[in-house]
Amino acid sequence: MALWIQISPGSDKPIYAQIVEQISEAIAKNELSAGDKLPAVRKLAAELVINPNTVARAYSFLEQGKLVTTKTGSGTFVSDPRLYSRDAADINMLAERMDTLITRGLNIGLEAGDLAAMFRDRTNKFVSKQKSEEKKK
Amino acid sequence: MIDEVVLETRGLTKYYGSVFAVDHIDLKIPRGCICGFVGRNAAGKTTAIKLMLGLLNPTAGTSKLLGCDSAALTPAIRQRIGYVTEGHRLFGWMNIVELERFQRTFFPGQWDGKFFAEMIEYFGLSKKQKIKHLSNGQRAQVSLALALSPNPELLIMDDPTLGLDAAIRRQFLSGMIEIIMREGRTILFSSHILGDVERVADRIVVIDKGVIRADCKLEQFRTAVKKVILAFEDSAPLQVDIDGLLHCRRSEKELAMILVGINDDKIAELAKSAGAEKYHIANMNLEDQFIEYTAPDGRGKLFKWEEI
Repeated sequence: MALWIQISPGSDKPIYAQIVEQISEAIAKNELSAGDKLPAVRKLAAELVINPNTVARAYSFLEQGKLVTTKTGSGTFVSDPRLYSRDAADINMLAERMDTLITRGLNIGLEAGDLAAMFRDRTNKFVSKQKSEEKKK
Repeated sequence: MIDEVVLETRGLTKYYGSVFAVDHIDLKIPRGCICGFVGRNAAGKTTAIKLMLGLLNPTAGTSKLLGCDSAALTPAIRQRIGYVTEGHRLFGWMNIVELERFQRTFFPGQWDGKFFAEMIEYFGLSKKQKIKHLSNGQRAQVSLALALSPNPELLIMDDPTLGLDAAIRRQFLSGMIEIIMREGRTILFSSHILGDVERVADRIVVIDKGVIRADCKLEQFRTAVKKVILAFEDSAPLQVDIDGLLHCRRSEKELAMILVGINDDKIAELAKSAGAEKYHIANMNLEDQFIEYTAPDGRGKLFKWEEI
């Protein structure tokens, strides 16, 4: 499963952050689902030809966000969505990032309705991949 | 074991005539890391490496590898160290078999002949080929196989990927990752390709005009070196005074600063107290950071990386 991870060392984004971003996105799109095992640190390091500490750092970052869980001796697994943590600060940060996008949208002449529709379409790209299950709030 | 230092220099210095090639360098490389040794041309990388290996006599200072003085490395210690020279200089008149036989005598009891044979086969080389008939890339491949086969505890490589194509460079990086995953191995390699350094290294040493400017975790360097642009409504001040300022370039309404070890909150404060209308933290990749960090107008500034 590691083959879809693509890293670019010349990027201004550190390599560990590129891994975090791609795995997070795969989880959001349900390409990786609860219980799926991530490749072992050393295996992924060898495959991507990067330092094992970089992979370990990415995994521990994902673990801090509770997206994955490491079980000693058996590996790192995608967490059950019920374990995902979110607090007021996360919601705040999300709102601020949305503000940036809304500002840009309005600046290039989009209307509120266009923006809302666009946001819904983009979200559907993630959610439609999840197997129909109604999300329980 | 974790904090054990495998390579240490103290005040290591080499003059050529009255010119400093290496100027009082203090380094500590812990076991288990891959350390990228970077510096511009003529910064002193090769001289430093030769001093560490005891191939040159220092004008002053000391250097220790695996706890043993570099000037007096015993055969038993040398056996635990692999060295890849710049340009992969090998005996041209030997063929690959002869070269292997020659090399393995320096590593009695630890030469992995099967591994060597597999690598040579993987590279599509034939053991009968004479070194002088090999291309640059093939010579580099032989030299990589020779360096890895004794399974060295400490591997030192002087710009091993210089002039190699992307595929062979990747083989070198792969070889480094393979080595580092064995228990207790350490690698120091110099390179001009910052993308490669970022890929495989977890420590970085920056040398500039013979002086060590940074010796820290790669991630620390990535986080600490920042470019901040302050924009002013009227004219930008001639200068700002802040700790961690490496250099500052001024245009009429903007100041572009390179800062080291200043966190984002401090940057916001700085922008406010300087009276900037707005500020922007620019994204930099490792190469940008290296170029800014070693830019001539910031030279001579030394930071205490252990405190950043």
